[in-house]
Amino acid sequence: MRILAVAQNTFREAIRDKILYVLLFFAAATIIGSKALGWISIGQDIKIVKDLSLAAMSVFGVLIAIFIGTSLVYKEIDKRTLYTIISQPIHRFEFILGKYLGLMAILAVVVSAMTLVASVYVLLLGGQLDSIFFLAALLVFWKLLLLTAFAILLSSLTSPILGAMIVFSFYIFGHATGIFTDLPPHFDGTSAKWLLEGIYYVIPNLSNFDIRAEAANEVAVSTKYVLWAMAYGTLYTAFLLLLAILAFEEKDV
Amino acid sequence: MEAIATHDLSKIYKGIGKSTVKSLDQLNLTVGEHEVFGFLGRNGAGKTTTIKILCSLLKASTGEAQVFGENVRSRAARRLIGYLPEQPYFYEYLTPKETIDFYGRLQGLDSATRKREWDKLAALLDLGDIADRHIKGFSKGMRQRVGFAVALVGDPPLLILDEPMSGLDPIGRRQIRELMVYLREQKKTLFFSSHVLSDVEQVCDRVGILVKGKLVRTGRIDMLLSAQQTEVEVVATGLEDATCKALAGRAVRSHVLEEHVYFVLDSPETANGLVRDIHKFGGKLVEYTPLKETLEEYFMREQEAVLQSKTGTGTSSQMGAVS
Repeated sequence: MRILAVAQNTFREAIRDKILYVLLFFAAATIIGSKALGWISIGQDIKIVKDLSLAAMSVFGVLIAIFIGTSLVYKEIDKRTLYTIISQPIHRFEFILGKYLGLMAILAVVVSAMTLVASVYVLLLGGQLDSIFFLAALLVFWKLLLLTAFAILLSSLTSPILGAMIVFSFYIFGHATGIFTDLPPHFDGTSAKWLLEGIYYVIPNLSNFDIRAEAANEVAVSTKYVLWAMAYGTLYTAFLLLLAILAFEEKDV
Repeated sequence: MEAIATHDLSKIYKGIGKSTVKSLDQLNLTVGEHEVFGFLGRNGAGKTTTIKILCSLLKASTGEAQVFGENVRSRAARRLIGYLPEQPYFYEYLTPKETIDFYGRLQGLDSATRKREWDKLAALLDLGDIADRHIKGFSKGMRQRVGFAVALVGDPPLLILDEPMSGLDPIGRRQIRELMVYLREQKKTLFFSSHVLSDVEQVCDRVGILVKGKLVRTGRIDMLLSAQQTEVEVVATGLEDATCKALAGRAVRSHVLEEHVYFVLDSPETANGLVRDIHKFGGKLVEYTPLKETLEEYFMREQEAVLQSKTGTGTSSQMGAVS
C-alpha cells in the first residue's frame, strides 16, 4: 500500500510535467511525418511508417525516462519533500520502488498512446498490422523499464544533468555494444582492450530489444526470443533497482 | 520511559575534497514523556542535525538515539514520531486533504481512518476553507498549518518540530504557540528548536543549549534563571542629594529620574541594608524588585561563556543571531 501511494503520487506528478507533453507532441509529429519519407521510397511507405514509429517510441520514450527519471529522487531531496516522507514508517526501498512503479506507469501510458497513434495511422494509410508490430512496441517498453531503473539509480546519486548525460551515453553505447569487442588488431594485448571488453559485459545490449526491422518487414520473431529478451531486461532492471535501493538506503538527506 | 534518549551521539560530515565538519559532538540528552523541551542554539550549532538523526533522515556517525526505547533507525520508532521540518515542503499540486490522505497511506491507515484523521485535523488546524485548494499558492502560515497536520497524522505521542515559528507573522506565531500549549495539554511530548526565545519561555518545561555541537546546559527554565537571579532594583524617593550620593556607593549602578532614585544592588542582603538606611535617612521606599534574567540574556551569557572558554576571544558582538 505504501509503495502504491508513492507510485500514484509519482504518476500524478509526472503527468503534470510539461516536458512529457512536449515530447509526446514531437513523437506524434514524427510518426505522422514519417509518411514524407515513404513518398521518397516508392512502395515502401507502410514499412517506413512502421519503422519510424517504433524508432520514435524508443527515442522519445528514452527522453521521457531520462528527463523525468533522473530528477525523480534528486528533486525530492532538493525540494525537501522527502523529509516528511522518509520520516514516516516507510522502508526506503518502498520509496524507490514506488517512484519506479510510478514512472513505469507513465511510460506504459506513453508507449500505449504512441502505439495507438501509429496503429491508427498505419491502418488509415491502408497498411496491415500484425502481432510482430505490437511485440516490437512491447520490447521498446521493456527497454525503457531498464533505462528507467538506471535513471533512478543515478537520480539518488547525482544531479539530473549529469545523470541525464550518463543515461544517454548508456543508451547510445547499449545500442552499439559491438564496438567494444570488434576492435582493430592493434588493440590486441593492450589494457584498453580489457577495459572496453569489460564495458561490453557490464553494459546491457539494448539491440536485444530491437526488432524494428522485423516489424517493418513483417518477418516473424519467435515467442521464445521475445521472452528471452524480456527476461534479459528484467534481470538487468532488477540489478539496477537493487543498486538504487542500496545507494538510497544509507543516504543522508 | 524516556521519550528521547541519545547516547554519545555524534555526526561528522566528510565531503570529497572538503574539510571534515563535526556537526554534533557526543550528545547525551534525555527528554521525558509528556515533556515540552526547547532545543536552543545558534545557526550551525547542530539542532537540525540532531532532529534529522532522530527522524532517521541522517545516520549518526557514532552513538545511538532512541525514542520510547526504540532505535530511531527502526520503523517502530518512526510510528511514534510526528515531524515538522523547518519550512515544510509538500507536493504543490496536492490539496491539504489529498496531502493528509497521502501521509495516512504512508502510515498504512485504512480509508475510513484516513477520513477520520482529516476531519479531526481539519477542525484542529482550521483547514476546512483551504481543504481543496492546491498547496502551490499557500502562504507560509497556511503551509505551517498543513505541516502540523501532517506531523499529527496517526496521533503520534512525540512531536519533533524544527523551528515551528520561523518566518511567521505575530498572529501565525501565536496560533502555533497556542497549538503547542494544546498539544502539551493532550499529553504529547514536544521536542522543538526555536530562535524565538520568548516563545520558548512561554511553552517549554525544559530547555537544552547547544553550542558548536555540544550540549552545554539543560534544565528547567525557572531553575536556570532563578540560579542567576541575584540583582535587586530599589526605587526610593524623599532623599537628599548628599544621602543619594552616599547610598549610591553601595549600588552596582544608580540613576535619578525626576523625584525618584533608582539603585541596582548585587544581592538581596545589600538591598535589604539599603532599604533600612533609606528609612533611617527619612526617605520612602517606592519599589523593591528582584531583577529576573530573561531566557535570551541567559542564553547569550551561556554562549559567550562557552565560546570564551574555548577560544578566549568570544565577545557579545560575536554571538550573532540566535537560532
